[in-house]
Amino acid sequence: MTMRNLHRQAPWFALAGVIILLVSALAVFPVNAKPPTQETEKYCLSCHGDSNLSMTLPSGEKLSLYVSQDQLDHSVHSNKGIECEACHNDISTYPHPRLKYETKRELSLNYYQTCEKCHSANYEKTQDSMHAQSAAEGNQDAPVCTDCHGHHDTLTPDEPRSQISVTCSKCHTDIVDAYKQSVHGAALLEDENPDVPVCTDCHGVHNIQDSRTEEFRVQSPELCAKCHADKELMDKYDLSSDVYSIYKRSWHGVDISVYKARWGAVWHDSAVCTDCHGVHDMLKTDDPKSRVNPANLLETCRQCHPDAGPNWVDAWTGHNEVSLERTPFLFYVDKFYTSFTPFILWACILYVALQIIRSIVDRVRSTL
Amino acid sequence: MSVNKTNPRASAQQEKTFARFNLGQRWEHAVLILSTLALLLTGLPQKYRDMSWSQDLLSTPERLDLVRQIHHIAAIILAMEAIYHIGRAIYLLARRKMSAAMFPTMQDVYDAWHMLQYLLFLRKEKPAFGKYNFEQKVTYWFLFFGFALMGISGFIIWFPVQFTKFLPGGVVPASKMAHSTESVVAAIFIVVWHLYHVHLERLNLSIFTGRLSEKEMREFHSKEYDRLTSSQSSSDKKN
Repeated sequence: MTMRNLHRQAPWFALAGVIILLVSALAVFPVNAKPPTQETEKYCLSCHGDSNLSMTLPSGEKLSLYVSQDQLDHSVHSNKGIECEACHNDISTYPHPRLKYETKRELSLNYYQTCEKCHSANYEKTQDSMHAQSAAEGNQDAPVCTDCHGHHDTLTPDEPRSQISVTCSKCHTDIVDAYKQSVHGAALLEDENPDVPVCTDCHGVHNIQDSRTEEFRVQSPELCAKCHADKELMDKYDLSSDVYSIYKRSWHGVDISVYKARWGAVWHDSAVCTDCHGVHDMLKTDDPKSRVNPANLLETCRQCHPDAGPNWVDAWTGHNEVSLERTPFLFYVDKFYTSFTPFILWACILYVALQIIRSIVDRVRSTL
Repeated sequence: MSVNKTNPRASAQQEKTFARFNLGQRWEHAVLILSTLALLLTGLPQKYRDMSWSQDLLSTPERLDLVRQIHHIAAIILAMEAIYHIGRAIYLLARRKMSAAMFPTMQDVYDAWHMLQYLLFLRKEKPAFGKYNFEQKVTYWFLFFGFALMGISGFIIWFPVQFTKFLPGGVVPASKMAHSTESVVAAIFIVVWHLYHVHLERLNLSIFTGRLSEKEMREFHSKEYDRLTSSQSSSDKKN
């Protein structure tokens, strides 16, 4: 191109300038731009919206390739503009590269790793969990992110709260069945009670630990205390919030506190809350099926004290402060040591003090 | 108790001494001191198990078991000593071979009142005491009932299942509280009352040597001194 011809090219330069301006405007103000991502979703669904679309994996399993628009619309991701490619980052061309997975499970175990890109903190936590440990031991079925959260249909996990127990019940069916019968589970499922614990309140969310260990056992009373020592919360249900502090002073509680403080790795059988109240199936004390109902208490004590006779249950002060009606023996011993004995001891101390004064005075006088 | 009036080896120059405790009683006291000390040393760390000093001492579950075993062995020794002591006292009292000098009398109340007046500078002289003054009786009976309580409550919390076969269950937590509290009460009492009277007020080693000097007898047990010397002089007259 020569300078002579330049004036003939001018309109084209102007057009290029306008385009560059527009593009840079888009780059500077991306918010104003319509997210291209939704376009991707639409684009992908032009094929994957077909409910009959499927393929057969080398394992012989039939893999549905259908993605429901409805599921995506309800998921937490799609509405935030997080597109198919965010997770399916190995597919950017059509025709797609050949799928390299043998089984459906293998596919899940590979795809869930893309969650880390955005959810790194929670992803890290899961790596320390009981589930990750189980996976490391070769359990293919140990849950990964998508097993609990879903994949295309990822929803807010605790809306409603009862959904959490549904999620866990996919694998822990028996335990959730027991939980549903419990005072906590029933209140959750029947009334959507916001105060009762769901699975994750006791077991943790992503770094779920083995609850059968020595450490978990000696720490478990504190889990219960999170709610049961909360006066405001317990008053709401007319329950005592002193149960934990009284337990801590009991033979069982002191024993457990020592193991917790010093010997966390040593198994110890002194009773923790769940030994008497049940692990997942705890009931109200006045429920005839409750392990701690007065009618069933002896049997419960006999789990650890097999030779105990019927009088034995009264040896348990039942998380109650000392009172004449409930624990008369304890009441009188307590009275004896809070009134009579201090009186005697102070009388002795006073008497000895007088003796010391008198002997000093006598000695001083004798030297005068 | 037989009373040895004079030390047979005592020469005219040597001070006359009076027998106070026989060999058996001195051994009983030695067993009492040692077993009580062992019980306190092994018991207090158990009482204060939620304290870090106790957890430092009882550093492993095995050591806790060991300390409990020592506590139980010392408890059996002390219980046997108590049974021997009471059995012997009943036997000798029944056969009128032992004076009932240790039992409290109205005289002790008068003595205590008199002594209180002396301590408050309302009287010039201390009261005259017999073989056991009221302070010593207080020591004996306070610890007598204290040890009885410790023994009963201790065995109940050692064998709670067996005891609740025939006792109400409420005795178990009551025993635990009594055992735990009485131990400290008895320890305070021994330190304040007993150790003051036998070490600080005067060094009284008669429970180890078995004897009191004539000076001590005159000063602290003048009635007993008068009784012994007058009976001796009267028996001298007879001879």
